[in-house]
Amino acid sequence: MIEIKLVVNNKPYTLGVEPSERLIDALRNRLGLLGTKEGCGEGECGACTVIMDGKTVNSCLVLAVQANGSVITSIEGVGNRRSPHPVQKAFVEVGAVQCGFCTPGMVLSAKNLLDKNSKPSNEEIGIAMSGNLCRCTGYDKILRAVKIAAEEGKE
Amino acid sequence: MKKRGIGLGCSWYGTGYGNGFPDVSSAFVEIHDDGSATVLTGAVDVGQGSNSIFAQIAAEELGLESQDICVYSGDTDATPDSGTTAATRQTYNTGNAVLKAVRQAKSSLLDYAAHEFSCPTSEGIELKAGYIGVKGDSSRRMPLADMVFQARLKGERFISAESSTARSTPVDPETGQGAPYWPYAFGCQMAEVEVNTETGMVRVLKVVAVHDVGKALNPTQVEGQIAGGVTQGIGFALLEELELKEGKINNPALSSYLIPTALDVPSIEALFVEDAECTGPFGAKGLGEPAMLPTVAAIINAIDDAVGVRITSLPATPEKILQALAEKKEGLGE
Repeated sequence: MIEIKLVVNNKPYTLGVEPSERLIDALRNRLGLLGTKEGCGEGECGACTVIMDGKTVNSCLVLAVQANGSVITSIEGVGNRRSPHPVQKAFVEVGAVQCGFCTPGMVLSAKNLLDKNSKPSNEEIGIAMSGNLCRCTGYDKILRAVKIAAEEGKE
Repeated sequence: MKKRGIGLGCSWYGTGYGNGFPDVSSAFVEIHDDGSATVLTGAVDVGQGSNSIFAQIAAEELGLESQDICVYSGDTDATPDSGTTAATRQTYNTGNAVLKAVRQAKSSLLDYAAHEFSCPTSEGIELKAGYIGVKGDSSRRMPLADMVFQARLKGERFISAESSTARSTPVDPETGQGAPYWPYAFGCQMAEVEVNTETGMVRVLKVVAVHDVGKALNPTQVEGQIAGGVTQGIGFALLEELELKEGKINNPALSSYLIPTALDVPSIEALFVEDAECTGPFGAKGLGEPAMLPTVAAIINAIDDAVGVRITSLPATPEKILQALAEKKEGLGE
């Protein structure tokens, strides 16, 4: 076991983790944050996206020990039922969800884009979301929701 | 050089298992004394939204809101079998089973209410906006919850079990005669593509998709199903190739079996035609698979329109397009 310190959703944690343990396992199994989904487990689908030190990462490709000292936002740290994040609000309004498995990762990629670029072009939105695969929605409503969230943020 | 072309694809698609295979869905329903209802069905919602559809169907029939309906689905310990979520069949088949079950539970409630309201026939009773009462007489009505509550105290229960079997007969192998499917779904799509004649890359610029959905019970879901289908169709036409070798899949990973990303999808205009299907629940029929079929033909036709080559095997990869272009050039040179 190796001891690591990290901040997840604004709360500091000290965890004992295995050397080969992935960040997604630490989040799901040790902290009970089940909103982070494992899709392919090889960094292709983006379902396990979290924001680590201001960058989106595939938490299946990051070792927990690599996250030592970092600040992490998972989907549980973005809005809630009563006060959803503008991206979540737009997803609900537009109907940008079908099976929902990609949704946590999609929301985090969109949030991170808008945190850095409040006026993204359609192309910038496409590039920011291209690491998150979705098989149900055809991306159409997801891209529209990100656009709406960006426009609402501007007002 | 980049060349643009437009193509059209049309489809008709038999929904349900077809060819006489027993295609049965079932549902249990109970109307509760808090003004809500429960629907139990084995139909699995894989994200297409069938649970929402069943809640809407039950709510519409009971004069309630869809949030008043609790749908339990896909639990083999508790729910009656409704077949697979496949063959574009859940909205139509299980929707019909849910509607039949709701109507059966409702009919005993109407009988009870007719008696309570001293109405000579249950046909004179209606369920509307959470109330149950005599048609055309607003003074004789009460909240649905109160009526069911009173009925419960007298030992009445409004529960039902129903199933619905799709119409299908086997096709005679000799004559080809038979009625294998009902209903059929119809669709038409147009795609605009840009083909790079140097790299063979195809970019889909726009897809307009029109589908006959019978009646769109949930327009947002219909749009979502169409866009999802179009995007899978784009993958089918241009990217997705299952490589088999000695019975094994050679590319069982998203790094080698490519599916469309957010950067591969064009602007998708999803439109629907509502020509009510008289055998469907509130006129609805399925849309799942039909949404992806015309996309493939539309894209392949658009490639032909753009650069004059006909691709006859899927996916239309850059390699195939470059080869076809080279063969065409050779043909012209001779």
